[in-house]
Amino acid sequence: MIGVGKVKQYSNVLDKPLSKGKQEVSLSAFAFLFSELVQYNQTQVDNISELERRLEDAGYAVGARVLELLCHREKGNRKETRLLGILSFVHSTVWKVLFGKVADSLEKGTEHEDEYMISEKELLVNRFISIPKDMGTFNCGAFVAGIVRGVLDGAGFPAVVTAHFVPMDGQQRPRTTILIKFAEEVLRREARLG
Amino acid sequence: MIACVAVIGHQNNPLYIQSFTEADDALKLHHIVHCSLDVVEERVNNPKKSGPTLNETFLGLLYPTENYKVYGYLTNTKVKFILVTTDLDVRDADVRNFFRRFHAAYVDAVSNPFHVPGKKITSKTFAERVSNIVKSFGLSSAG
Repeated sequence: MIGVGKVKQYSNVLDKPLSKGKQEVSLSAFAFLFSELVQYNQTQVDNISELERRLEDAGYAVGARVLELLCHREKGNRKETRLLGILSFVHSTVWKVLFGKVADSLEKGTEHEDEYMISEKELLVNRFISIPKDMGTFNCGAFVAGIVRGVLDGAGFPAVVTAHFVPMDGQQRPRTTILIKFAEEVLRREARLG
Repeated sequence: MIACVAVIGHQNNPLYIQSFTEADDALKLHHIVHCSLDVVEERVNNPKKSGPTLNETFLGLLYPTENYKVYGYLTNTKVKFILVTTDLDVRDADVRNFFRRFHAAYVDAVSNPFHVPGKKITSKTFAERVSNIVKSFGLSSAG
Protein backbone atom coordinates (compact mmCIF):
# COMPACT_ATOMS: atom_id res chain seq x y z
CA MET A 1 0.00 0.00 0.00
CA ILE A 2 1.32 3.47 -0.76
CA GLY A 3 2.54 5.31 2.27
CA VAL A 4 3.06 2.31 4.52
CA GLY A 5 6.50 2.30 6.08
CA LYS A 6 7.35 5.80 4.87
CA VAL A 7 10.05 7.61 6.80
CA LYS A 8 9.02 10.82 8.53
CA GLN A 9 8.66 13.57 5.92
CA TYR A 10 9.06 17.14 6.98
CA SER A 11 6.29 19.34 5.61
CA ASN A 12 8.70 22.24 5.19
CA VAL A 13 12.24 21.81 3.91
CA LEU A 14 13.34 24.49 6.38
CA ASP A 15 12.37 22.22 9.27
CA LYS A 16 14.90 19.57 8.40
CA PRO A 17 17.63 19.29 11.00
CA LEU A 18 20.84 20.97 9.96
CA SER A 19 23.27 18.12 10.16
CA LYS A 20 21.20 15.63 8.19
CA GLY A 21 20.53 17.77 5.14
CA LYS A 22 21.16 16.52 1.61
CA GLN A 23 24.72 17.35 0.73
CA GLU A 24 24.39 17.92 -2.99
CA VAL A 25 23.11 20.70 -5.20
CA SER A 26 22.73 20.42 -8.97
CA LEU A 27 25.76 21.79 -10.82
CA SER A 28 23.71 23.46 -13.53
CA ALA A 29 21.59 25.28 -10.97
CA PHE A 30 24.71 26.60 -9.30
CA ALA A 31 26.31 27.52 -12.65
CA PHE A 32 23.25 29.56 -13.63
CA LEU A 33 23.16 31.29 -10.28
CA PHE A 34 26.88 32.07 -10.37
CA SER A 35 26.73 33.41 -13.94
CA GLU A 36 23.84 35.64 -12.90
CA LEU A 37 25.87 36.85 -9.91
CA VAL A 38 28.80 37.78 -12.16
CA GLN A 39 26.57 39.47 -14.72
CA TYR A 40 24.74 41.46 -12.05
CA ASN A 41 27.98 42.71 -10.59
CA GLN A 42 29.32 43.56 -14.03
CA THR A 43 26.52 46.02 -14.64
CA GLN A 44 27.19 47.76 -11.35
CA VAL A 45 30.91 48.45 -11.64
CA ASP A 46 33.18 50.44 -13.93
CA ASN A 47 36.38 48.44 -13.85
CA ILE A 48 37.79 44.96 -13.42
CA SER A 49 39.33 45.31 -9.99
CA GLU A 50 36.02 46.54 -8.57
CA LEU A 51 34.29 43.48 -10.05
CA GLU A 52 36.88 41.21 -8.51
CA ARG A 53 36.48 42.91 -5.15
CA ARG A 54 32.70 42.46 -5.25
CA LEU A 55 32.97 38.76 -6.04
CA GLU A 56 35.45 38.40 -3.23
CA ASP A 57 33.12 40.13 -0.79
CA ALA A 58 30.31 37.81 -1.80
CA GLY A 59 32.62 34.86 -1.18
CA TYR A 60 33.69 36.28 2.18
CA ALA A 61 30.12 36.12 3.50
CA VAL A 62 29.85 32.50 2.36
CA GLY A 63 33.17 31.63 3.94
CA ALA A 64 32.21 33.00 7.34
CA ARG A 65 29.04 30.93 7.42
CA VAL A 66 30.70 27.81 6.06
CA LEU A 67 33.22 27.98 8.89
CA GLU A 68 30.49 28.12 11.55
CA LEU A 69 28.63 25.25 9.89
CA LEU A 70 31.64 22.98 9.48
CA CYS A 71 32.94 23.58 12.98
CA HIS A 72 29.63 22.41 14.29
CA ARG A 73 29.31 19.37 12.01
CA GLU A 74 32.84 18.13 12.40
CA LYS A 75 33.25 15.50 15.07
CA GLY A 76 34.59 16.66 18.39
CA ASN A 77 34.13 20.34 17.61
CA ARG A 78 37.85 20.90 17.71
CA LYS A 79 39.28 24.35 17.21
CA GLU A 80 42.20 24.99 14.88
CA THR A 81 44.95 27.09 16.37
CA ARG A 82 47.89 26.14 14.16
CA LEU A 83 48.59 27.41 10.67
CA LEU A 84 49.02 24.00 9.08
CA GLY A 85 45.90 22.83 10.88
CA ILE A 86 43.70 25.52 9.44
CA LEU A 87 45.27 25.19 5.98
CA SER A 88 44.63 21.46 5.79
CA PHE A 89 41.12 22.11 7.11
CA VAL A 90 40.48 24.50 4.20
CA HIS A 91 42.23 22.27 1.72
CA SER A 92 40.32 19.10 2.53
CA THR A 93 37.18 19.64 4.59
CA VAL A 94 35.98 22.94 3.13
CA TRP A 95 36.77 21.87 -0.41
CA LYS A 96 35.04 18.54 0.09
CA VAL A 97 31.87 20.17 1.37
CA LEU A 98 31.77 22.89 -1.25
CA PHE A 99 33.08 21.12 -4.35
CA GLY A 100 32.74 17.42 -3.58
CA LYS A 101 36.45 16.63 -3.64
CA VAL A 102 39.62 17.77 -1.90
CA ALA A 103 41.75 20.44 -3.55
CA ASP A 104 44.46 19.20 -5.89
CA SER A 105 47.45 20.43 -3.96
CA LEU A 106 48.61 22.62 -1.11
CA GLU A 107 52.06 24.15 -1.38
CA LYS A 108 54.19 26.49 0.64
CA GLY A 109 55.51 29.47 -1.28
CA THR A 110 59.26 29.53 -1.84
CA GLU A 111 59.91 33.25 -2.02
CA HIS A 112 58.11 34.39 1.13
CA GLU A 113 57.52 32.76 4.47
CA ASP A 114 53.92 33.83 4.68
CA GLU A 115 52.64 32.58 1.33
CA TYR A 116 50.78 29.36 0.69
CA MET A 117 49.10 28.13 -2.47
CA ILE A 118 46.14 25.88 -3.06
CA SER A 119 46.03 24.69 -6.67
CA GLU A 120 43.22 23.22 -8.64
CA LYS A 121 43.27 21.97 -12.21
CA GLU A 122 39.95 23.66 -12.85
CA LEU A 123 37.84 25.45 -10.28
CA LEU A 124 34.24 24.30 -10.24
CA VAL A 125 32.99 27.85 -10.46
CA ASN A 126 35.06 28.46 -13.61
CA ARG A 127 33.92 25.35 -15.40
CA PHE A 128 31.39 27.09 -17.65
CA ILE A 129 33.13 30.46 -17.82
CA SER A 130 35.58 31.72 -20.43
CA ILE A 131 37.18 35.11 -19.93
CA PRO A 132 37.22 37.45 -22.97
CA LYS A 133 40.68 38.74 -23.94
CA ASP A 134 39.91 42.34 -23.06
CA MET A 135 39.38 41.51 -19.40
CA GLY A 136 43.01 40.71 -18.92
CA THR A 137 43.85 38.73 -15.84
CA PHE A 138 40.41 38.70 -14.29
CA ASN A 139 39.48 35.39 -12.69
CA CYS A 140 36.04 34.44 -11.40
CA GLY A 141 37.92 32.33 -8.89
CA ALA A 142 37.92 35.56 -6.88
CA PHE A 143 34.69 34.19 -5.45
CA VAL A 144 36.51 31.12 -4.13
CA ALA A 145 39.34 33.33 -2.90
CA GLY A 146 36.73 35.27 -0.94
CA ILE A 147 35.38 32.06 0.57
CA VAL A 148 38.87 31.06 1.72
CA ARG A 149 39.45 34.53 3.14
CA GLY A 150 36.14 34.34 5.02
CA VAL A 151 37.08 30.99 6.56
CA LEU A 152 40.58 32.12 7.55
CA ASP A 153 39.39 35.44 8.94
CA GLY A 154 36.69 33.82 11.03
CA ALA A 155 39.15 31.33 12.44
CA GLY A 156 41.50 34.10 13.53
CA PHE A 157 44.08 33.98 10.70
CA PRO A 158 43.74 37.25 8.79
CA ALA A 159 45.12 36.91 5.28
CA VAL A 160 45.02 38.36 1.78
CA VAL A 161 43.75 35.76 -0.66
CA THR A 162 43.80 36.06 -4.44
CA ALA A 163 43.15 33.77 -7.39
CA HIS A 164 45.53 33.46 -10.33
CA PHE A 165 45.77 31.58 -13.57
CA VAL A 166 48.99 29.66 -13.94
CA PRO A 167 49.61 28.42 -17.49
CA MET A 168 50.82 24.85 -17.58
CA ASP A 169 52.87 23.29 -20.37
CA GLY A 170 51.06 20.69 -22.34
CA GLN A 171 47.62 21.67 -21.09
CA GLN A 172 45.12 23.79 -22.90
CA ARG A 173 43.48 25.50 -19.96
CA PRO A 174 45.66 27.10 -17.31
CA ARG A 175 45.66 25.80 -13.77
CA THR A 176 44.12 27.98 -11.09
CA THR A 177 46.03 28.84 -7.97
CA ILE A 178 44.63 30.43 -4.83
CA LEU A 179 47.42 32.44 -3.24
CA ILE A 180 47.14 32.97 0.51
CA LYS A 181 49.31 35.59 2.14
CA PHE A 182 49.02 35.63 5.92
CA ALA A 183 49.21 38.78 8.00
CA GLU A 184 52.22 39.55 10.19
CA GLU A 185 50.51 38.74 13.47
CA VAL A 186 49.66 35.22 12.31
CA LEU A 187 53.33 34.44 11.68
CA ARG A 188 54.37 35.96 14.98
CA ARG A 189 51.77 33.92 16.83
CA GLU A 190 52.82 30.79 15.00
CA ALA A 191 56.46 31.38 15.92
CA ARG A 192 55.45 31.88 19.54
CA LEU A 193 53.49 28.65 19.65
CA GLY A 194 56.58 26.84 18.49
CA MET B 1 16.65 26.09 36.34
CA ILE B 2 18.49 28.03 33.74
CA ALA B 3 18.71 31.67 34.63
CA CYS B 4 20.18 33.06 31.46
CA VAL B 5 21.98 32.25 28.22
CA ALA B 6 24.20 34.62 26.29
CA VAL B 7 26.07 34.69 23.00
CA ILE B 8 29.13 36.94 22.93
CA GLY B 9 30.84 37.85 19.68
CA HIS B 10 34.56 37.63 19.06
CA GLN B 11 35.17 41.24 20.03
CA ASN B 12 33.34 40.60 23.29
CA ASN B 13 30.25 42.36 22.02
CA PRO B 14 26.96 40.79 23.13
CA LEU B 15 25.02 39.21 20.29
CA TYR B 16 22.15 37.69 22.23
CA ILE B 17 21.25 37.75 25.92
CA GLN B 18 18.09 36.10 27.18
CA SER B 19 17.08 35.55 30.78
CA PHE B 20 14.53 32.95 31.78
CA THR B 21 13.66 33.84 35.36
CA GLU B 22 11.44 36.79 36.11
CA ALA B 23 12.53 37.06 39.69
CA ASP B 24 16.13 38.06 39.17
CA ASP B 25 17.35 41.35 37.98
CA ALA B 26 18.35 41.20 34.31
CA LEU B 27 21.18 43.61 34.98
CA LYS B 28 22.72 41.34 37.59
CA LEU B 29 22.72 38.49 35.10
CA HIS B 30 24.34 40.71 32.48
CA HIS B 31 27.02 41.55 35.01
CA ILE B 32 27.67 37.89 35.80
CA VAL B 33 27.94 37.11 32.08
CA HIS B 34 30.36 39.99 31.64
CA CYS B 35 32.58 38.83 34.49
CA SER B 36 32.66 35.32 33.12
CA LEU B 37 34.22 36.68 29.93
CA ASP B 38 37.38 37.37 31.93
CA VAL B 39 37.57 33.74 32.97
CA VAL B 40 37.14 32.65 29.36
CA GLU B 41 39.99 34.93 28.26
CA GLU B 42 42.20 33.55 30.97
CA ARG B 43 41.45 29.97 29.98
CA VAL B 44 42.14 30.71 26.32
CA ASN B 45 45.40 32.53 26.91
CA ASN B 46 46.91 30.12 29.41
CA PRO B 47 46.03 26.72 28.05
CA LYS B 48 46.78 23.75 30.19
CA LYS B 49 49.59 21.98 28.45
CA SER B 50 47.82 18.61 28.13
CA GLY B 51 46.96 17.92 24.48
CA PRO B 52 43.17 17.51 24.22
CA THR B 53 42.32 20.55 26.30
CA LEU B 54 44.27 22.78 23.96
CA ASN B 55 41.55 23.07 21.38
CA GLU B 56 38.38 21.89 23.11
CA THR B 57 35.30 23.93 22.54
CA PHE B 58 33.53 23.14 25.82
CA LEU B 59 35.20 25.10 28.62
CA GLY B 60 33.24 23.61 31.51
CA LEU B 61 32.36 25.26 34.78
CA LEU B 62 33.85 28.72 34.66
CA TYR B 63 33.19 29.81 38.21
CA PRO B 64 30.49 29.37 40.86
CA THR B 65 28.96 32.46 42.48
CA GLU B 66 26.74 32.61 45.53
CA ASN B 67 23.78 30.81 43.98
CA TYR B 68 24.68 30.44 40.29
CA LYS B 69 26.92 28.26 38.23
CA VAL B 70 28.37 29.62 35.00
CA TYR B 71 29.35 27.35 32.10
CA GLY B 72 31.25 28.42 29.03
CA TYR B 73 31.65 27.19 25.45
CA LEU B 74 33.97 28.66 22.85
CA THR B 75 33.51 28.12 19.13
CA ASN B 76 36.16 28.16 16.43
CA THR B 77 35.28 31.72 15.49
CA LYS B 78 35.88 33.04 19.01
CA VAL B 79 32.16 33.29 19.65
CA LYS B 80 31.37 32.41 23.26
CA PHE B 81 28.23 30.88 24.68
CA ILE B 82 27.61 31.48 28.38
CA LEU B 83 25.09 29.54 30.42
CA VAL B 84 24.05 30.71 33.90
CA THR B 85 22.11 28.16 35.91
CA THR B 86 20.73 27.95 39.42
CA ASP B 87 20.80 24.16 39.62
CA LEU B 88 23.12 22.74 42.20
CA ASP B 89 23.67 19.34 40.64
CA VAL B 90 23.92 19.63 36.86
CA ARG B 91 25.54 16.74 35.08
CA ASP B 92 28.42 17.53 32.74
CA ALA B 93 26.82 15.50 29.95
CA ASP B 94 23.64 17.56 30.20
CA VAL B 95 25.50 20.81 29.78
CA ARG B 96 27.49 19.48 26.82
CA ASN B 97 24.27 18.32 25.22
CA PHE B 98 22.72 21.72 25.82
CA PHE B 99 25.64 23.52 24.20
CA ARG B 100 25.60 21.17 21.24
CA ARG B 101 21.96 21.98 20.49
CA PHE B 102 22.55 25.63 21.21
CA HIS B 103 25.45 25.65 18.74
CA ALA B 104 23.20 24.08 16.08
CA ALA B 105 20.59 26.80 16.61
CA TYR B 106 23.31 29.44 16.46
CA VAL B 107 24.72 28.10 13.19
CA ASP B 108 21.22 28.18 11.71
CA ALA B 109 20.77 31.80 12.79
CA VAL B 110 24.13 32.88 11.38
CA SER B 111 23.55 31.09 8.04
CA ASN B 112 20.80 33.58 7.38
CA PRO B 113 22.11 35.75 4.51
CA PHE B 114 20.40 38.77 6.01
CA HIS B 115 22.23 38.41 9.28
CA VAL B 116 25.15 40.79 9.54
CA PRO B 117 27.99 39.16 11.44
CA GLY B 118 28.81 41.22 14.50
CA LYS B 119 25.31 42.58 14.93
CA LYS B 120 22.72 41.29 17.39
CA ILE B 121 20.80 38.17 16.45
CA THR B 122 17.24 39.27 15.80
CA SER B 123 15.77 36.07 14.48
CA LYS B 124 12.55 35.03 16.21
CA THR B 125 13.11 31.41 15.20
CA PHE B 126 16.39 31.43 17.05
CA ALA B 127 14.68 32.79 20.18
CA GLU B 128 12.02 30.10 19.97
CA ARG B 129 14.52 27.30 19.51
CA VAL B 130 16.59 28.56 22.41
CA SER B 131 13.58 28.62 24.72
CA ASN B 132 12.71 25.07 23.62
CA ILE B 133 16.22 23.88 24.38
CA VAL B 134 16.15 25.62 27.76
CA LYS B 135 12.81 24.00 28.64
CA SER B 136 14.02 20.52 27.77
CA PHE B 137 17.22 21.06 29.72
CA GLY B 138 15.22 21.54 32.88
CA LEU B 139 13.25 18.34 32.28
CA SER B 140 16.16 16.06 31.49
CA SER B 141 18.21 16.98 34.52
CA ALA B 142 15.24 16.75 36.88
CA GLY B 143 14.62 13.09 35.99
